[in-house]
Amino acid sequence: MNFFFDVVLNAFIRMLQLFWFGKRRISNSLSIYVKTNEGNTLCVDLDPKWDIKNVKEVVAPRLGILPEDLKVILAGKELHNSTIIEECDLGQQSILHVVRTQPGRNRTRKLNLPQDTIEELASENSDVNESGSKPMNETLTDLPLEEAEESVTTISEQEQEENRAHFYVYCSAPCKSVQPGKLRVRCERCSSGAVTVDRDPQCWPDVLLPQRITVHCENDFCLPPLSVTHTEEIESQILYAKFYFKCANHTSLGETDESVPLYLIKPNLRKVPCLACTDIRDTVLVFPCEAGHVTCLDCFCDYCTARLHDRHFEFDTVHGYYTLPCPTGCPDSYILEVHHFHLLNAHQYEQYQRFGTEEYVLKAGGLLCPQPDCGMGIIPQSPDTDTTDEECRKIQCIGGCGYVFCRRCLQGFHVDDCETQHPVLSSSQNPATGTYAVDPLKAKDAKWDEASKKTIKVSTKPCPKCRTPTERDGGCMHIVCTRAGCGFQWCWVCQTQWTRDCMGNHWFG
Amino acid sequence: MANIAAQRIQREFKEVIKSEEVAKCAIKVELVNDSFTELKGEIAGPPDTPYEGGNFVLEIKVPETYPFNPPKVRFITKIWHPNISSVTGAICLDILKDQWAAAMTLRTVLLSLQALLSAAEPDDPQDAVVAKQYKEQPDMFRQTAKHWTSVYAGGPAKMPELDDKIRRLTDMGVEEHNARVALSSYNWDLERATEQLFS
Repeated sequence: MNFFFDVVLNAFIRMLQLFWFGKRRISNSLSIYVKTNEGNTLCVDLDPKWDIKNVKEVVAPRLGILPEDLKVILAGKELHNSTIIEECDLGQQSILHVVRTQPGRNRTRKLNLPQDTIEELASENSDVNESGSKPMNETLTDLPLEEAEESVTTISEQEQEENRAHFYVYCSAPCKSVQPGKLRVRCERCSSGAVTVDRDPQCWPDVLLPQRITVHCENDFCLPPLSVTHTEEIESQILYAKFYFKCANHTSLGETDESVPLYLIKPNLRKVPCLACTDIRDTVLVFPCEAGHVTCLDCFCDYCTARLHDRHFEFDTVHGYYTLPCPTGCPDSYILEVHHFHLLNAHQYEQYQRFGTEEYVLKAGGLLCPQPDCGMGIIPQSPDTDTTDEECRKIQCIGGCGYVFCRRCLQGFHVDDCETQHPVLSSSQNPATGTYAVDPLKAKDAKWDEASKKTIKVSTKPCPKCRTPTERDGGCMHIVCTRAGCGFQWCWVCQTQWTRDCMGNHWFG
Repeated sequence: MANIAAQRIQREFKEVIKSEEVAKCAIKVELVNDSFTELKGEIAGPPDTPYEGGNFVLEIKVPETYPFNPPKVRFITKIWHPNISSVTGAICLDILKDQWAAAMTLRTVLLSLQALLSAAEPDDPQDAVVAKQYKEQPDMFRQTAKHWTSVYAGGPAKMPELDDKIRRLTDMGVEEHNARVALSSYNWDLERATEQLFS
C-alpha cells in the first residue's frame, strides 16, 4: 500500500516538476560539474532552490540509471534527498560526486572495517540518517583549538546561521588575499572526492593531521595495493580521509585548486574580547599558546606591523620559521603557519619575506651586500673572518651589483687595515682614469647614493659585533643590537661591549 | 596615534579610576592631553619604606604601537632609588623593556612601580651611585631616600642634621639641588662633597 502510494506520489511530483523546470531555470542558475565513479563528468545547470532529489532526477537519465540508485556526495557527506542546494555552500563550477549504489559491495567492505565504524556505515544506506545528510560545512561550526574541547553542542541554530564562514584560507591565486574557505575531503589513496567520512572532524588536528578519520571510498578504481599477509590486507582495507581547503570567494578552478587554511582565525563564538583593544569582534585570531590568547584581526595586523617595523620577528629554533609568538609572551606560542602574515598588506608581506631571508643569510654566516639598493645575500666559501689573508676579506657581490668590499668593515675593498673611524668620503674623481668623464645620469645617481651614505654615516654607529648601522634616538647610552640573532649589548660612547664602568661614568652621556 | 592605542588607553584609564587602589589613594592617573598619548601617573610611597608618606609623579608616554610596545615611563618627582636615575628619573624595570607583554595595563605598570619602591633590585641598577650606597651602607641609603622623599615628594620626615649640611653648601653659593646630590653621593661627607662641587 505504502509502495503504491509512493509510486503515485513520485509520478505526480515528477509531472509537476516537468511543468516547473522551465520556469525554475530562469531564476539564477548554478553551473556545476557532476562526477561519477565511472569517471564521467557531466556539466549540469541547477537551481539553488532545488533539493538533492531534483538533482538526482536531472542527472539519472543522462547516466541511464534510476534516480533511486544514485547517491550524491559532497565534501565527505552523502546528501539527503531533502537537502536544498543553497544550503550546501556550492559555488559555480563546484564538483558534486554521483555514485551508483552497490549494496553488495558495501556489505563486504563493512565486514573488514573496525568495529566502531560499522554502525555508521550500516545506517548509510537508509535515507533517514539525519546527521549524515547534512553537508559537512554545516555540522562543523567551530573547530576548537584543543582536541579535548567539545564545541557545537551549546550553540543555537540561530548562532550557527550567523557564522556561516567557518574557515579562512589564504588564496594565492586568483584572489591573492585572505578569504573564507570551504572544507573538502578526498580519499587518501586514490584522491577521489567520492568518499563519505565515517565521522565528522571535531577539531583542527582531525583535519590537519593525516590518518585520523576513516572514509568509505566510492571510487571503483580505488584498489588496495597487493598485500602479503592477512594483517596487511585488513590494514589496506582501511581508508583515510585527506582534508583540504578551497577558497569560497572565486569560482573553483578544478580539483587541484586548493588554498592554505589559516587555522588560527576563528569565528568568535565565545565572545572573547581582544587582548589589545578589548573589543569583542566576530572574527579573531587565537594564538597557539596554552591560554589561547585572542586578538582581533586589526590588532593582529598592528602587532605584526610594530614587530616588523622594529625587525623584531623571531626565529623559532625548533621548526625554523621566522615568526611571532603570542604578544603576551607565552612560551611555545610561535605561529607555525606563516601564511597568517598574509593578513598584512602585500607590501608588508614582501618586507616580512625579505627580512626573513636576510636573517637566514646572516644566521648562516653570510653577508648582505652593503651597497644601497642592492643588499644581495652572499654566503662566502671561507667562514673565517679573523684571518689576515686579504683574499678572505675580499668579497664580491656576484649576481648582484658586483661591488667588491671588505667583509670586516663593509666598506669598499682596501689593502691595508680597516679604518676604525668613518673615512672621509673620497671625491667623485676617479684617479685611475685620470680624465674626468661625466655621465650626467650616473653623476646624479652617485650623488644620491653619497647623500644617503653620508646620512647613514652621520646618524649611525655600527654595532661592534655585527656592524649593523645603528641609530640612537634618545634614551641612555646602553644599546642592545636589535638584529635578530645578534642582540649584542654595547656602549654608544665607547663603541665596545657595555660594562659597569660605562654605567657608572656615562650612562646618560 | 593609532586608534587601537587610544582606545585601549581609554579603557585602561577607566580601569585605574575604578580600581580599589585608587579608592585607597595608592595610585592615581590623570590625562595630560585629549589624545591619550600622554598621561600623568602618581603612586604613593609604600608603607615601611623610606618612601612612605611621599607622592611620586610619573610621566607616561604611550607609543603608537601600544600595547605591543611598552609605555615610556619616568619619574618626574626626584627620588633616591637604585633602579631609578636620580638625574633623569629613568626607570630600570624589566616589564618596561623586554619583558613587556601586551596583556599588561596602566594599572599593572603603576602597581609594579610601587612594588619596585618596596623591593629594589640593586643588581640591575639604573643609578650606580645609589646602588653602591644601597648595598654598602644601607642605613645611609635609607636616610638619604627618606630625606629626598620629604623634600621632593612631600614626605613627613624632618632631618635637621642633613638640612644643615645642605645649608652650609648653599651659603657658599651652590644651588640647593646640586648640593643635595653631591652630599647624597658622598654619604653626607661635607668635605668630599665640597671638594667635588668646587673641583
